[in-house]
Amino acid sequence: MKELNPLLHSQLRLAIMSILMNVEEADFVYLKEKTESTAGNLSVQLDKLSNAGYIHIQKGFVGKKTRTVCRMTETGRAAFEEYVDTLKKYLNL
Amino acid sequence: MEERKLTEKESLEVITSMIARTKQRYVGDGRIMLLWGYLVGIVSILVWIMLAATGQSIWNLLWFAIPVIGGIATPIMARKHQIRSGIMTFSDKVTSRLWTIAGGSEFVTILVCICIQYFTGSSCWSAMLAYTLVAMPMAEIAQGLLIKEKSLTLGGAIGLSIGIVTVCCVAGRIPLGANWYMPLFILAFVAMMIVPGHILNNKASREK
Repeated sequence: MKELNPLLHSQLRLAIMSILMNVEEADFVYLKEKTESTAGNLSVQLDKLSNAGYIHIQKGFVGKKTRTVCRMTETGRAAFEEYVDTLKKYLNL
Repeated sequence: MEERKLTEKESLEVITSMIARTKQRYVGDGRIMLLWGYLVGIVSILVWIMLAATGQSIWNLLWFAIPVIGGIATPIMARKHQIRSGIMTFSDKVTSRLWTIAGGSEFVTILVCICIQYFTGSSCWSAMLAYTLVAMPMAEIAQGLLIKEKSLTLGGAIGLSIGIVTVCCVAGRIPLGANWYMPLFILAFVAMMIVPGHILNNKASREK
């Protein structure tokens, strides 16, 4: 059987991707709150997903504060869909 | 949440749990609707009073306060709303584009009316009223259907009904007399913007 995508087969990265599949874009604060993760860990995982081309990260400013917005890319969407298809086979769904 | 390997069953649980956490019924932000509703209402009453008191058509220039104030405040308020919520959903995106198209076409209509008046001397501002009460309710009905919010659909339907009356009057060259038309115009915006705006805000505050 095909192996599950190792980049997505991790709790936090999978959680981030699941959220971004559901919305057009989400900011760092929202992702941190929904995944109940630490800022440092979340930041590292976002970078990994971004380097793989699965998400697009846009950094901007709101007043003097930075605002990081994440969006799923087409590559990320395809990878997630493939992951779910493989998962269904593993679980015989 | 940590970065750790999962079993297949745990993966499925993470996906369903995240979908459940982000699954929130979109109710939107009523503040922008209230801004437009009260802005149009106040300006309409002001123009009505000043025209009745002085009889000078120069007071019609006050109508321009609506696109100027609304046009500046709306993008600022929309941006603040998005920052507050932290996300942009598909409904947010579609709704934003719907109102951008409706607002943009209003702006073009204003320019056309100005050009016609400048080049031909004919006033076609009544067509502006008719167009406003067709384009805005259509956008509102679409938004109401998209987010399944009855107050928007119903408000839009009331506005559209008044818009159809306006179109027929303009086409039939029936003068839109201030005494009967202004209350109707204000009523349209109360039904389209003020009532749904308060209902949306109420629902949003209950969801928090």
